[in-house]
Amino acid sequence: MPLDIIVGIKWVPNTTAVNIDPKTGTLIREGIPSVVNPHDLTAVEMALKLKDKYGGSVTAISMAPPSALAGLEHVIGMGVDRGILASDRAFAGADTLATSYVLAKVIEKIGRFDLVIMGHETIDSSTAHIGAQVASWLNLPYVYYVVDAVLEDDGNTLEVTRILENAYEKYRIRLPAVISIAMHTFNPRRVRLSEKLRAKMEKPIEIWSIKDLEIDPNCAGLRGSPTVVSGIDFVPKVPRKNEVFQGSDPKEAARWLLSKLIEEGLLDL
Amino acid sequence: MDATSYRFDVVVVGAGPAGSSAAYTLAKRGFKVLLVERGRSPGAKNMFGGRVYVSPLKEIYPDFENKAPIHRWVTREKVSLVDGDNMTTLEYEARNSKSFTTYLTQLSGWMAKQAEEAGALLLNEITVDRLYMENGFVRGIVVGEEVLKADVVIDAEGINRLVLEKSGIVPRLKPSQVALGIKEVIKLSVEEINTNFGLEGNEGLAWILMGDVTKGVPGGAFIYTNRDSVSLGLVVYLEDAIYKVNKHISNYIEELRLHPLLNKYIKEGRIMEYSSHLIPEDIGSIMPPKPYYNGLLIAGDAAGFLLNLGYTYRGVDFAAYSGYLAAKAVEYGHDNGGYNEENLSIYKKYLEESFILKQLKKFKDVHSLMKKERLFELYPSLANHIARELFHIDYESPKILEAIKKAKEGRVGWFTLLRDLYEVSRKI
Repeated sequence: MPLDIIVGIKWVPNTTAVNIDPKTGTLIREGIPSVVNPHDLTAVEMALKLKDKYGGSVTAISMAPPSALAGLEHVIGMGVDRGILASDRAFAGADTLATSYVLAKVIEKIGRFDLVIMGHETIDSSTAHIGAQVASWLNLPYVYYVVDAVLEDDGNTLEVTRILENAYEKYRIRLPAVISIAMHTFNPRRVRLSEKLRAKMEKPIEIWSIKDLEIDPNCAGLRGSPTVVSGIDFVPKVPRKNEVFQGSDPKEAARWLLSKLIEEGLLDL
Repeated sequence: MDATSYRFDVVVVGAGPAGSSAAYTLAKRGFKVLLVERGRSPGAKNMFGGRVYVSPLKEIYPDFENKAPIHRWVTREKVSLVDGDNMTTLEYEARNSKSFTTYLTQLSGWMAKQAEEAGALLLNEITVDRLYMENGFVRGIVVGEEVLKADVVIDAEGINRLVLEKSGIVPRLKPSQVALGIKEVIKLSVEEINTNFGLEGNEGLAWILMGDVTKGVPGGAFIYTNRDSVSLGLVVYLEDAIYKVNKHISNYIEELRLHPLLNKYIKEGRIMEYSSHLIPEDIGSIMPPKPYYNGLLIAGDAAGFLLNLGYTYRGVDFAAYSGYLAAKAVEYGHDNGGYNEENLSIYKKYLEESFILKQLKKFKDVHSLMKKERLFELYPSLANHIARELFHIDYESPKILEAIKKAKEGRVGWFTLLRDLYEVSRKI
């Protein structure tokens, strides 16, 4: 029984390289390269594994400015069949609610699907909202922290395993459904040359604007986003003293360190 | 296994300066070109000190000066000999300029974009494993289990040339053949740079330092001013570094940044980037036996095309121009019935007629000089001693010869000094 799978990906600034502007409290994105959210690549890998096993198709969807095409090309390079980028100025400034709304509309428009797979969370905002919200908009069952999924013989029931702190849980869910994959469950596969060429030569990525989707403009973008950032507090900066023990005797070094820690009030002996 | 149904006239391996100029030149002339890059984007794996000589690039790209991402035009050149907290500097300043500073990631990105706009197809994040061979001809590339066929391949993979190694064309690099470059990019404002370095508008500084800035390891240090940052780096000969460097090499650049003679120029700065890369040094031994084979041309660092004279480094212009010549050789092969060695040997001829092989031949003995430790320790120290004798005066000024005599006393004989001077003047 083939599975038609939709996978959500987000094009995020590489947070290992991002700094926060201490004056405005916003991310300094200038010159920071973007990447596909790594936890979404885990979701893509899960989708491709299921496709390898059961056949079917994988469609990657994203809501982002056109620069995210590079991210969709990347996952097509991994073996995803088709990409859909929901891109429109009206989607800008969206919080998770407005984003999940647009993604749900994209999924509705795709129509035929058995399973929606999302990543655990994104590295740039870490809310882990989107999976649950998309499932709510679509009124579908949702299981998160999934590490394994097996299609039962009826072709219509998925047995999913999810990981908890010290236990595994198994659920049987009726398809279609939404799942999100626990981070680091799989290593995403290497991009293949032939798939990457297909991504460039055969235009498997469509861009859908607000006109292509049945969207209530009051629910999308900034207008559809109830989240307000009321302020950002910074951890106070402790100036580094840059003191280095000069010497080679480890005993002396330990004594020196101890005396410094006591001096700073960090140890009380 | 021929897993791809696509076919290209030319596959170019590596979207650095050499690969992108080759792809651009060929695409412009109507060839179907695939440019494959290992990094996430062109330039992601590139690194250089900070300066590019413009004339060869102007020949390849029309209106280069107005379109390329140029930060500053180098109008000031400084070469300093450093000994502890003494520094003796030769400085040259001019109103016009033949070279510019930039970020190589930006320049590589721009060059790859020119290739794409000319019609080449660029694929990022593709690591070529080896060349695909058929009957003694290179007929494409192998990526994972997939083969992509092409009539001819240009290898511009850089100094870390694993494809050529795996294909048996060159042996593994030895530490004695390369240097290690390490660099920090330090963010300052445009105004801070202009004030600190005495520059105006888009004037730039290129500053080479020799002496104990490398802590006794043969090599040198450099500072280049970008638009709103400074590139500060070290180049050390890898073979010497292996046994002389006893802590992580990043400590050396930390010490360089904190050096009392240098830190005052950059102390307001914030470190944005740390990078390191291998640099071709012993060019004669790095060059492959031939830069052309049946169905294959080799350009840029992979071919060893880089010139280091100690007071200037030239890699990007050599790379870009060799890519351009490789493209012309492909065109010659196309017009003359194929890409066999006989036809592609025209590439060697183009290189010999150009500045690339003329310069590398002219300076072929420079590398042997770079192995002389006196050059990196004794002479910088001597120069500073002489300067100190001449300028550090309590009551009596010495004659110049007295100063030299006093400085070299017990450290080096006249014979060695004159012989080294002769050797330097002959080789550089």
